[in-house]
Amino acid sequence: MSPIQQEKIPVFKKWRYWYWLVIGFLLLLMVLFYLFTKHFA
Amino acid sequence: MNFSRLDWTVLILTLTLIIVYGVYRSRTSKNLEGYLLSDRQMPWWIVLLSIMGTQASAITFLTAPGQAYSDGMRFVQYYFGLPFAMVVVCIAFVPVFHKLKIFTAYEYLEQRFDVKTRLLTSFLFLLSRGISTGISIVAPAIVLHSMLGWDILFTNLFMGGLLIIYTVSGGAKAVAYTQQLQFIIIYAAMFIAAWWALKMLPQGIGITEALHIGGKSGRLNVITTGVTDKGFDWKDKYNIWSGVIGGFFLAVSYFGTDQSQVGRYLTARNEQESKIGLLMNGLVKVPLQFCILLIGVFLFAFYQFNKAPAYFNLAQEKTVKQSVNAREFAAADQQFQQIQDEKRKTVTALGTALQQDNKPAVDQLRTKLQEQQQQAQVVRDSIQNIVKKTIPDSEGNDTNYIFLRFVGDYLPNGLVGLIIAIIFLASWSSIAAALHALASCTMVDFHKRLRKKAATPLQEYRWSQTYALIWGLFCIVVAQFSYNLGNSLIEAVNILGSWFYGTILGIFLVAFYLKRVGGSAVFTGAILAEITVIVVYSLNLFSFLWLNVVGAVCVVVYASLAHILFFAKNKTAPTQPKLKTQ
Repeated sequence: MSPIQQEKIPVFKKWRYWYWLVIGFLLLLMVLFYLFTKHFA
Repeated sequence: MNFSRLDWTVLILTLTLIIVYGVYRSRTSKNLEGYLLSDRQMPWWIVLLSIMGTQASAITFLTAPGQAYSDGMRFVQYYFGLPFAMVVVCIAFVPVFHKLKIFTAYEYLEQRFDVKTRLLTSFLFLLSRGISTGISIVAPAIVLHSMLGWDILFTNLFMGGLLIIYTVSGGAKAVAYTQQLQFIIIYAAMFIAAWWALKMLPQGIGITEALHIGGKSGRLNVITTGVTDKGFDWKDKYNIWSGVIGGFFLAVSYFGTDQSQVGRYLTARNEQESKIGLLMNGLVKVPLQFCILLIGVFLFAFYQFNKAPAYFNLAQEKTVKQSVNAREFAAADQQFQQIQDEKRKTVTALGTALQQDNKPAVDQLRTKLQEQQQQAQVVRDSIQNIVKKTIPDSEGNDTNYIFLRFVGDYLPNGLVGLIIAIIFLASWSSIAAALHALASCTMVDFHKRLRKKAATPLQEYRWSQTYALIWGLFCIVVAQFSYNLGNSLIEAVNILGSWFYGTILGIFLVAFYLKRVGGSAVFTGAILAEITVIVVYSLNLFSFLWLNVVGAVCVVVYASLAHILFFAKNKTAPTQPKLKTQ
């Protein structure tokens, strides 16, 4: 595998977007869990 | 619990499949890189499944549904720090480890500090992981002993012995590929069990109604703040703050500095594959854990319509029924069943009210259900006290047995065998990775580092296999001795980890971010931090998750102070690894 291929980041252009996706998804889950708790209580 | 011939067949076939597959996939280069790191050839999805399989032990699958049944779903918050941790590990740890082409995380510490810091950190890891792996073997063995009457020594030897076969022979590659298959079987079986519980609900009660029953009984408390009338409760184990902050420190330490996890993502074919594996873990871990806990809520709903045992540990229930406290137990049991009968009427009416969207009736029935739930809990507490009184060694805690009791009482033959098989598979998955990590550190950090005579690649390969075997046998011996810990052993594993993880993480934080602090300062700081953690734990000031924060912060503070007060005069710059950190 060449160095150029090794540097290629899947899906996004920068790793930063991956990090935001992971954290954003967690925050979304927290909101959904909160609504879930409220709704069924 | 009835374990039929069909169950035995399913159990033996499933275990044989895993061992044969593990041995089949174990062909690898006969050198250190092949045995310890699968020649660094793994794609990201194998890394992901391997990371998840290493983290989730048998106890995860046994305890989580029981936890949701008895305490609600708030346990999921324990994992909220994990996605943040995955990001930090990808930014700070993975690039360094890949660029240095290291075998163990602690190798980096010698390049950054000195050999004594590397050996201290590796020793702390070996100590905590060696003991906790032994306890991990005995935990499911105790549950199987209680539910099926299996001999604990035999179960330990059987579970540990079979695992050693493929771990010793195949190394990292066998561990990774078997974890992939184990993961698929485990989750498939868990979802079949959940589906079965839902299928056995009465006519007209579906998933939505089951969730309403759980929610109105306080079982869907996914988000809790830990704030009481007296302010924030620092001893509350699971709330959003302890989960995000304590869980974050625990997860960074676990994924960044614990060789059983580092060894998994170092098998990736490059840095990108490691990062994607870790980030995908950050994406899927919380939802998957949520689903496992949801099984406990479905069990709770199921037991509102079916006869629920007042106490789920079959073996202990039997002992109490044969003791002088049998009459007291029978009276409490009868009282519990009367409350259950009343609850059944309430939840049936609640189901009807929900279908008719009759909100005033729903509110009224919810209040009634909560009162009945509290009454049932009081009786269950009194039953647990009777058990504690009769069996002083027991904690009277039956959380670990709730799911298996359901499996034994209600699932069909064959499926029972499959569920017992997943207990073995989940155990093997995490224990194999731990054994492999213990062998890696012993070989690379101690044997290879301290032995002056050079060895051939084949000799190094054989030595690594020998260490994996020795650690396997050590863990089986620890399992035998830790049997007396009883139910508290699950918590013992978590507490033991929290004693050391914070300190190990602190050492790495100093290595990455306090570039002027050298080896002697961090070594001193680590020793003092470890003492502080033990003192804080002894004083019972916080719940165990916070010990990770205490350990990490103490190392950073003490090492900085030691550097300023004692070591800054030695102007020799600390050795820095030649690499670019991102």
